[in-house]
Formats: sequence, structure tokens, C-alpha cells
Amino acid sequence: MIIYLYDGSFEGLLTAIYESYYLKDKPEKIYSKENFQPNLLDDTIYIETDGTKADKVYESIGSKISKNALRNVYHIFLSEHQEAGTMIYNYLRLGWRMGNSVDLNLMDNRVMVVQEICNKVSRERHRMLGLIRFQQLKGDFYYAPIEPDYNIIGLVAPHFVERMGDQNWMIHDKKRNIAAVTFHKQWVLTNIDDKFTPSLGDEEINYQKLWREYFNNISIEERYNPKLQRKNMPSRYWNNLIEK
Amino acid sequence: MDIQQKLKILADSAKYDVSCSSSGSNRKNTQGGIGNATLSGICHSWSDDGRCISLLKILYTNECVYDCVYCVNRVTNDIPRASFTPQEVADLTINFYKRNYIEGLFLSSAINKNPDYTMEGLSEVVRILREEYRFNGYIHLKGIPGADEALISKAGKYVDRMSVNIELPSSEGLKLLAPQKKKESILKPMGLINQKIIQSKEEKKQFKGANLFVPAGQSTQLIVGATQDHDYKILTLTEGLYNRYKLKRVYYSAYVPVMNHPKLPQVINPPTVREHRLYQADWLLRFYGFSAGELLDETQPNFDNDFDPKTDWALRNIHLFPIEINRAEYEMLLRVPGIGVRSARRIIAARRVSTISYDGLKNIGVVMKRAQHFITCNGKYHGEVGMKVGLIRQSLLPKPKKTNVPSWQENQLSFLTDLVPYNHNLINSIVLGEL
Repeated sequence: MIIYLYDGSFEGLLTAIYESYYLKDKPEKIYSKENFQPNLLDDTIYIETDGTKADKVYESIGSKISKNALRNVYHIFLSEHQEAGTMIYNYLRLGWRMGNSVDLNLMDNRVMVVQEICNKVSRERHRMLGLIRFQQLKGDFYYAPIEPDYNIIGLVAPHFVERMGDQNWMIHDKKRNIAAVTFHKQWVLTNIDDKFTPSLGDEEINYQKLWREYFNNISIEERYNPKLQRKNMPSRYWNNLIEK
Repeated sequence: MDIQQKLKILADSAKYDVSCSSSGSNRKNTQGGIGNATLSGICHSWSDDGRCISLLKILYTNECVYDCVYCVNRVTNDIPRASFTPQEVADLTINFYKRNYIEGLFLSSAINKNPDYTMEGLSEVVRILREEYRFNGYIHLKGIPGADEALISKAGKYVDRMSVNIELPSSEGLKLLAPQKKKESILKPMGLINQKIIQSKEEKKQFKGANLFVPAGQSTQLIVGATQDHDYKILTLTEGLYNRYKLKRVYYSAYVPVMNHPKLPQVINPPTVREHRLYQADWLLRFYGFSAGELLDETQPNFDNDFDPKTDWALRNIHLFPIEINRAEYEMLLRVPGIGVRSARRIIAARRVSTISYDGLKNIGVVMKRAQHFITCNGKYHGEVGMKVGLIRQSLLPKPKKTNVPSWQENQLSFLTDLVPYNHNLINSIVLGEL
């Protein structure tokens, strides 16, 4: 089996897809080199990331398939799924054959699987828009720790830039040691030391107490239903919630 | 009284209001302002009863002059009373919002002194939020029945959604349980808000800068189970509200017994199944093209506990089925039990590039347990029991519910009950050696 390896970046993956059309050996699978377990029977080819080749593929997905396909591909990449590279490769090959009707082809497993994972990623993004909790630090700066299943920090940041106006904030993905930081309505994604410890502002504890008070009183006792609560708000997110 | 104490009392008094949605408005943030609204709405948490928390849902005050029998806040009920100042509500909202606890504010109120006085207070809160704090997040405000039209119109310019609660679905119910409220005083503000919404939409077409008026529309709430009104009556009322007053939502609230009163029914558990069936029917009215008369009638005025309204309808109209998945129109697909709006749309989309296989339907998201009885796929019928209403009914019957006892307790109980005879006659016969 021929396997392409790329460096783990989105550009790297797109380069690998570019090369699959021009190299003699077509890949059966595409993996990120980080989570790849070599096997005696496989032939691996390492693909060097190339910005211009990646750009060409990016352009071509948008113009020859659809904007939606571009979005799908990026969401799959962010899912960090073991098979993400291969799924994207199979989906795009079909996409370039079918054009913009590829997403209608729900009877095809290559499309179905992409939509399924896309939905999971979008669902977590949407969930996070609500579940992110900012804490006010000293100096009127707001800090929010998160531990999402998928790498959705770049998908949620623009929402808060739009929403929070002049407020300066940082969203910290503690699983991946990255952070979205804003300053004057711009935001950047940076790496961050996992030992970062925030020091809370003076009013913060008080408002957390008020929020918990509200949370405990808004529930109707006669309708107590922890199963439904967990279904809507899985307990893996509770670590970073003030109210739980 | 400190703010925490007030929050405790006034959140507790507000919890019986069901609505918490923050959808329907896409108000943009402004220069130097804070917040915006998301068209789909965002839930921020879920309380211990499993209901979503999207907005800071509180009463402005719970000091009420009315004496509605079903309500916790009625004047003759002995509970702690509190009132916020407009500034306090605004500060709480802003600070919760900055921490992303909430999507906005849902402010309701008991009737303090008189309707006009109360409505003025509510108006002042939203004015401070919008004008002084430049808050552009979601605001849902309660319209107070009997308040002056000018006051309601003024508040409507600031908020995203307004609601006037009907609570009791009939005049007789009102007379019995809320003698100070009149049907007319509830419907009048609803009519006013509806008319203003239409007017502002017209203005918006002509001038880009025209003021918004309640852009997310209005909603209302009906209590289920506090009066003798049956489901058919409630559903026709709902239908009328959607058609005549263009409401965005009607909420149903299973009556939670908050006190004993000779005029109130004795309810042990809130009728949540009934509430659930009404919500299902409500969706059928709004998104599935059903009318109230199709789902219920005078001879069958209540929903079945065991079957959802759509399945019930399909079983009564079995002559319309089975339908062919690869040819049926969208409107008919929507009427198949197990097919929702999303899967119907996906079926239509997928049909454009290939025929749909039976296995493919599962992937699309169709609930095959129900749908199999009502469809054919490429001419083949896959239902396990055939087109016989009785058998379909039997196979769709919900499984008997397990008791809510945790498993360890169950074991412990059976351990003890092993020692205690269940059936005295049986034990006697064992003792007597008859077995």
C-alpha cells in the first residue's frame, strides 16, 4: 500500500493532494506524520509542504467544486481524525469529477462520512459559543479556558471578536496549548505555555457566585432531569464551567 | 437586601416561564457597543431539569397585586418578596454577558401597583441597556396586559422579542383561576404588537434606517393541566394565534402544582408527556403543513400517550400509505412518521443525483423503526409486519418503562424481598407441601 505523509499542517495536506495527481505513485492513504505508525508492508512517501501547490488546490476546490466543499474539507481537517487526510483525498477526487453536486450524493459513503464528521465539528463549535466562560483578570482582561474534542478555536474566535466589541480577551485551548488572543478587534492564534495561570480580578469571584446562585434557582425541582442535562451538555465540558 | 438575595428570589419566581429562546434576531454590534444577536440563538447552559439557559430570566419584581390561583407570586401567597432597580438589572446583564454566561436578558414582572407603573419600570431597564451601555445582545421583554399602548410601543423599539402570556387557554379558565385578568386585555397588546411589527417591516422596505420593532417577533405561553381544557381546544387556539397574530412561538408549560387550592386540580407530577405531545403537534402545525383539525377533533380531543401525533395521524390515514421514497413530493415526505424536515430535504437533494436505497435512508437520518411501515423504496415494501394497522400499532408501542430505581438499590431490594414472601397463598402452599 502506498501512503503519503505530510507534516500535519493544512497546507501540507493540500500539497499531498496536489502531488497525488502528478506523481507516478497514487496514494491509497494520506496520513499526518505525527500520528503515523509505520508498517513493513507499506511504502511511504513524504511530501514536502509547498505553499504555491497548496494554494492551487485551495483555489481549485473553491472554483471547481464549491465553497461548501472547501468548508467541509477544512472542518474535517480540524476534526484531527486519524483518517482525516484519506477522507479528504477521497472526497475531493469525487468532487473534482462531480463538481458542485458532490454534496448531494448522499448515497456515496465518501460523501456521507465527510458530512457526518463535519456535523460533529460544527456542532461542537456551536456548543462552544455558549459554553465558553470568560473570567475577568486583573487589568480588565478576559480569559477563557477550553478543552474541546476538535480543534475549533479558530472557528469560534471570530464570533467573539464581533460580539465583545472593545473587550480584550483570550481563549486558551488547554488540550492543544494554543490560544486565540485579541487586542483592539484583531485576533491571532499563538502557542501558549501550559503553565499559564491567570490571576483573577477583584469583582470576578462575586459574579461567579451570582451566576451559580442563578443557575441553582432557575431549575424546576419537580422536573429534575439530569439525563437530559447531560445529553445537552456532556459532562466532559463541565471542568471549565463556572456553574458545575 | 443584597443583590444575591434578590437574584435568588427573582430567578426562582421566574422559572415557570418556559421561553428561553434567543433566536430570530440578527441585531448587529455597533461602534463602541457590546453584543450582537445570532439568528439561530445560542444556549449557554442547561439547568438540572434539563432545560436550556440562554437568557438571564428574572422578574423585575415579584410583588404582585393580582391573585391568580395558579401562580406562585399571587398576592395572597406567603413567599419572600423582592424588587430590582433598573440599574441593578442592567449591571447584572452586562456583567454576565461579558463573561459569556448568557445571550441576553429575559425580563418579566409581577404587576406592581398597576400595569402602567410596571411597564414603565421594564422600559427603563431596556432603555439603560440599549442607550447607556450600548448593549446589542438579545432582549426578551414581557408585555404587561392592560398597560398603556404608548408604553408598550416605546419598549418595543428596544427589544428583540416581546411576549404576552395567555396562560389559561379559555375564558372560563380565566374566570375561575385569574378573575382579575380578561381575555380582551391579553389579546389587545398582542394585536398592537403584531400591527407594529408589520408596520415596521413595511417601513424597513422603504427606508433603510427605519427603526426595528420586535424583530424576533412575539410569543406566548399556555399552561397545560391547570384547567379542564382538552388538547384540541389548546391546539386550535395555537393555530389561531399563529395565523391571526403571526406569533413566532407558542410555549406550553406543564402545570407544576405550586400550592393547594380547592379550585385547582390535584396533580402529583407535572403532565410532561402531554406537554411533549403538544410541542410535537405545534411543530407539525408550523413546519409540516398539518392543521389542528387533522390531528384531533371533537370525538378524539386528546393526544395519545403512547404515539406521537404524526404516527397517530398516519395510522388513522393508512389508506394514503405506503408512499414511494424516490417519487413522493416534499409535502408528502414530511407526513411520513420517522421523516423530519431535515431528512425530507436531504431525500429531495439526494434524489437529484441518484436513486435512494433502503440502507441509504438510514444514513440520511430517517428513523427506520417508524418509517419502514409507511414507505416503499424502489417499489419494495420493507415493513416487518405488513400494512396492518393493528400490527404496526403493536410494534410501535413504547417498551414498558423501567423503574427509576438505581441498579444497586434494586439489587438490595430484591435481596431483602427474597426473605419476605410476595404471595402468601403460594408460601402457604409450599409450607403445606402442596407443590
